[in-house]
Amino acid sequence: MFEHEANPDNIKKATFVVAIPSYNEADSIAFPVQQADQGIQLFFGDIDSVIINCDNNSDDGTKEIFLGIKTNTPKIYISTEPGVKGKGRNFRNLFKKIVELEAEGVVVVDADLKSITPKWIKHLGEPLFQDFGYVAPLYVRHKYDGTITNSIAYPLTRSLYGRRVRQPIGGDFGFCGKLAKIYLESDTWSEAIANFGIDIWMTTLAMNENIPICQAFMGRPKIHRAKDPGADLGPMFRQVVGTIFNMMIKFYPFWSNVKWSKPTSIFGFGLGETEMPPPVKVNKETLFTKFQNGFNTCSHIWEKILQKETVNKLQEVRKMNKDQFDFPTNLWINVLIDFTVAYRDKLWVEDELLDSLIPIYLGKTLSYVKKAERMSIRDSEEFIEEECLQFEATKKLLMKHWDGE
Amino acid sequence: MAKILVVDDEEHIRLLYSEELTEAGYEVITAADGYELTERIEKEKPDIVILDIKMIDYNGLDLLQDIRNKFYNLPVILCTAYDTFKEDIKSIAADFYVIKSFDLTELKKKIAMALEANIP
Repeated sequence: MFEHEANPDNIKKATFVVAIPSYNEADSIAFPVQQADQGIQLFFGDIDSVIINCDNNSDDGTKEIFLGIKTNTPKIYISTEPGVKGKGRNFRNLFKKIVELEAEGVVVVDADLKSITPKWIKHLGEPLFQDFGYVAPLYVRHKYDGTITNSIAYPLTRSLYGRRVRQPIGGDFGFCGKLAKIYLESDTWSEAIANFGIDIWMTTLAMNENIPICQAFMGRPKIHRAKDPGADLGPMFRQVVGTIFNMMIKFYPFWSNVKWSKPTSIFGFGLGETEMPPPVKVNKETLFTKFQNGFNTCSHIWEKILQKETVNKLQEVRKMNKDQFDFPTNLWINVLIDFTVAYRDKLWVEDELLDSLIPIYLGKTLSYVKKAERMSIRDSEEFIEEECLQFEATKKLLMKHWDGE
Repeated sequence: MAKILVVDDEEHIRLLYSEELTEAGYEVITAADGYELTERIEKEKPDIVILDIKMIDYNGLDLLQDIRNKFYNLPVILCTAYDTFKEDIKSIAADFYVIKSFDLTELKKKIAMALEANIP
């Protein structure tokens, strides 16, 4: 029988919450729960705390595993209705619970995390009790990992809203109780946010609410269940990018007044030597083929929504063979500018429009992979920083197109 | 007129920056070390800090962290003779960094950008 909530210790109030969203994570949830429990006991031992699993009514026994793990910290399980899925919907239930518990600080960690340590809880949680309202994670990631973040989410949020948050869709982060109320009351909720758009939505709202943001250095790379990027890209890409575009429409009055960008405070040193992330394999042939195929399947959309010179430049890139392939950063920026305007003006069916960006994004990714082949992680980070400066410097062009000039 | 605080333990650098940046239209004050730097910032209220990373008794990256925690939006530009500091993650709390040079073109460009940066 379905039970929306299980609260065996009858917890009514908690100052600090560690939350773990899940869907069918029975085989992996125990580890992050144990690490969270140790983190709470070691670093927040004098604060009333609770671990919450917010779940999509998993049918693999996630709930039973979660509630069965022996912890010193009390636990609460909450679930969406049967058949209701989506990471964002889990968060919505979480926001309600946080407001009900009157929690002051909340740390969220993924259920499939294999590299979490108790110190992650400390570093994501402590700044929330020191004047910061949102704590984003700072991991060392492999240079080919997180390409949606590197090519779209980071440069766009940074240049739009002016705050340099390197992992705006990190999945593990902290936020204050005040923000939970703001999230619940926001009128920007959408189907995309109810799914994978939730992370970028939360970061964007925190920026727009002028909540003091810091980044917490996690020391260890994020290691979690490997996903097949090909299989997952479509819906996730649509939800993340669609959410970024929707937020741009909503928050135009804010971002149109932002110039350049500012850094954040950094927390979490003293984690010892930084561990290097595992290598990520990229199939350049697939990226090249999917980019080329995009001209067969999406040209009619591109010709309708992109500036003529942008289409011409794309055709030039198309003619390059794989060895000489190069997708210039300014072309990528021009493509994104045109897509954001087309999305706002509803020049094409929303999902088809977002899907048609994927082949171009894969072309941009191929170009980055080729350039980064001989780079260290640090050098690839510098390359991304340079690209971000180009995004910021091109903001005047974005404004011009948005203002219809 | 924007006020710049230059923190550097090398006297010739302080003199060079003072002269060039004053000529460029800024008010420049200097500090030879990081002693009570946040207190000094509180008192002098500079619009931007130019901070040397390697000083004899002070680590510029630790000072940067103190500044960022206390003055969330105060622009800080790191100056260094070597770029190895980039290996330290703390450096990303700076607005910009520049490699020390007698040609201050890059530094002036970064100062202008940092002062222009605006979040409503």
